[in-house]
Amino acid sequence: MENQSELSKDGHRPDIDRAKTHSGEGRAIEVDDLELVYSDGTAAIQGVDMQVPEGEFFGFLGPNGAGKTTTIKVFATLLSPTSGTVRVNGFDVRTEARKIRQTIGYMAQETSIDPELTAEENIKFACEAYGVPRGQRAERVSELLSLVDLVDVADKRAEEFSGGMKKRLDAATALVHRPPLVFLDEPTTGLDPKARNRLWEYFRRINDLGTTIFLTTQYLEEADQLCDRLAVILDGQIVAEGSPADLKREVGGEVLDVELEGGPEVRAEAARIAREFDAFADAKVAETEEGISVTAQTARQYGTDLMVAFRDAELTVTGFNIRTPTLDDVFLAITGEELDTEKMDTGQTGASE
Amino acid sequence: MSTPGADEGVAKTEDARSGNSFFGDVWVNFKRWNLKAVRNPFVLVVSLVQPIIFLVLFTEVFGNVAGGAVNQGIPGISYETYLVPAIAIQVALAAAITSGIGLVNDIENGMFEKVLVTPMNRTAVFVGKTAAEVFRIAIQIAIILGLGLFLGAEVVTGFVGAIGIIAVGILFSLWFVAFSNALAILTRDQESTIIGANLLQFPLLFLSSAFLPLAALPGWIQTFARINPVTYGVDAARSLMVDQDVMTVIEVSWFAGTLNGVVPGVLVLIGLDLLFGGIAVYLLSRASSSDVQ
Repeated sequence: MENQSELSKDGHRPDIDRAKTHSGEGRAIEVDDLELVYSDGTAAIQGVDMQVPEGEFFGFLGPNGAGKTTTIKVFATLLSPTSGTVRVNGFDVRTEARKIRQTIGYMAQETSIDPELTAEENIKFACEAYGVPRGQRAERVSELLSLVDLVDVADKRAEEFSGGMKKRLDAATALVHRPPLVFLDEPTTGLDPKARNRLWEYFRRINDLGTTIFLTTQYLEEADQLCDRLAVILDGQIVAEGSPADLKREVGGEVLDVELEGGPEVRAEAARIAREFDAFADAKVAETEEGISVTAQTARQYGTDLMVAFRDAELTVTGFNIRTPTLDDVFLAITGEELDTEKMDTGQTGASE
Repeated sequence: MSTPGADEGVAKTEDARSGNSFFGDVWVNFKRWNLKAVRNPFVLVVSLVQPIIFLVLFTEVFGNVAGGAVNQGIPGISYETYLVPAIAIQVALAAAITSGIGLVNDIENGMFEKVLVTPMNRTAVFVGKTAAEVFRIAIQIAIILGLGLFLGAEVVTGFVGAIGIIAVGILFSLWFVAFSNALAILTRDQESTIIGANLLQFPLLFLSSAFLPLAALPGWIQTFARINPVTYGVDAARSLMVDQDVMTVIEVSWFAGTLNGVVPGVLVLIGLDLLFGGIAVYLLSRASSSDVQ
């Protein structure tokens, strides 16, 4: 990125002082026993407690309908909590909503830009809406256009943009007031790997400059790539919390995937053998689409012995692989089911274009 | 993860929100909606084209026939002069529909929510949008008046009367602006809003004193015309056009002459504006509230 050095000088440093919490180790988000019940009786959030320190890249992970968007809307003052307290940048969501709005950036799940305005006009409108002083607007607009690589199309109407360009423009408009805290609600859903990697790069960059980021995602890889810390939400409750590495450790050991020839009865037989296998006393065994998967501390040591046991039982192993656990395994371990989403094709993760 | 140090040269104090006055917020939104109107001349043109077609076709096709009927009510008036105030009201009606369409588009493309997350005053947001629409309606009515003059119509009260007609048109448009916004919030769907608002347009126009004097129309239309806002708008505008009291549905003698035709219509329109405006404000504040639904 040719403009990175210039940007890191001052471009998007968040305006930290505007948060009430400013102290170096304040809490960007503090949630105590948050509940939200819709009028039809649906309890979308059920007793969530969480804290996000300033400067953190925090991930909120969960399947569709788990309550991610509802939670982020409470934080962004779009929904009032049914009960519990929520403080964002030190301000109460019920009584100090406007102060929160002044100090956060919010990028909704659906791309939200005015298609009839140009990229530049969209950012300019956001500058005016957030009260960026007149004298700083022009500079801010051009900084943001270059941050999201839309300088060349600044005068084009947003309706002509690709999905990725629209998302980048949307992200830029959420940053006009240099918010110390930015909410990103599934920012990369529906994007191709190239566009996704590019967005990831921008998010890392603004986080490196000190902005706290609260990101929701249903992609485990995304959370793994970006986040310092994660909370896993399921049916409105947080079921696990920690760094990606912590969560992986909780899975307990390494994962041995075995592919087997034959139908469900073969997999059931193989699972039975694995469970009864002496070396895998505390192993978790799950049937997968193509065979079974065994998670155990000793998976690497005794994997080949299990293969031998399969051969003795006249099962045909067509492939196997021992790997460190991914967040997929974390989710499987927590919920007992696979995350209900298509796998994302991350391509070369972490690389910028 | 770098934590921001204290030594960074960010202009923090000057960075505070500056343009957060109520009128500042109104202005920001006024500009945005005007820019969108200029960007999307289709909307501007469509809400003008139909009334212009009516103006030209009606005067050319019906002018000779209708002239007689019109003259029985207001002696010496040409059909062009008779029709122009009605077309001015038609423009106000057609243009007001686009207000709701703009709101639906904003809801659909996420701008509605995006604006709610900004610290802008929410009343100012909608005042700014409505002001932009009213501004556009004023220009469109002025265009119709200009075209009417070109076709041979006459504004007897002159420039002041023309301004008055624009003012009546704006007063008339507001209740329909409110109505189309209410439709927009209730349906949250562009097609439904357009169809819903357009369906009303023709019955409202034809079942009124817009195109022919009420005396020349069947009894049931006369009855409906009495409760039809278009009649009040058209009669008030027409009174200004011809400088006579031609209000057909309310008779008052509070003033001498023309104002007896204008003031009752204006009062009825203000009442309607308050009623529909109240409903729209209620629906808008419910839609933008953070209360869980």
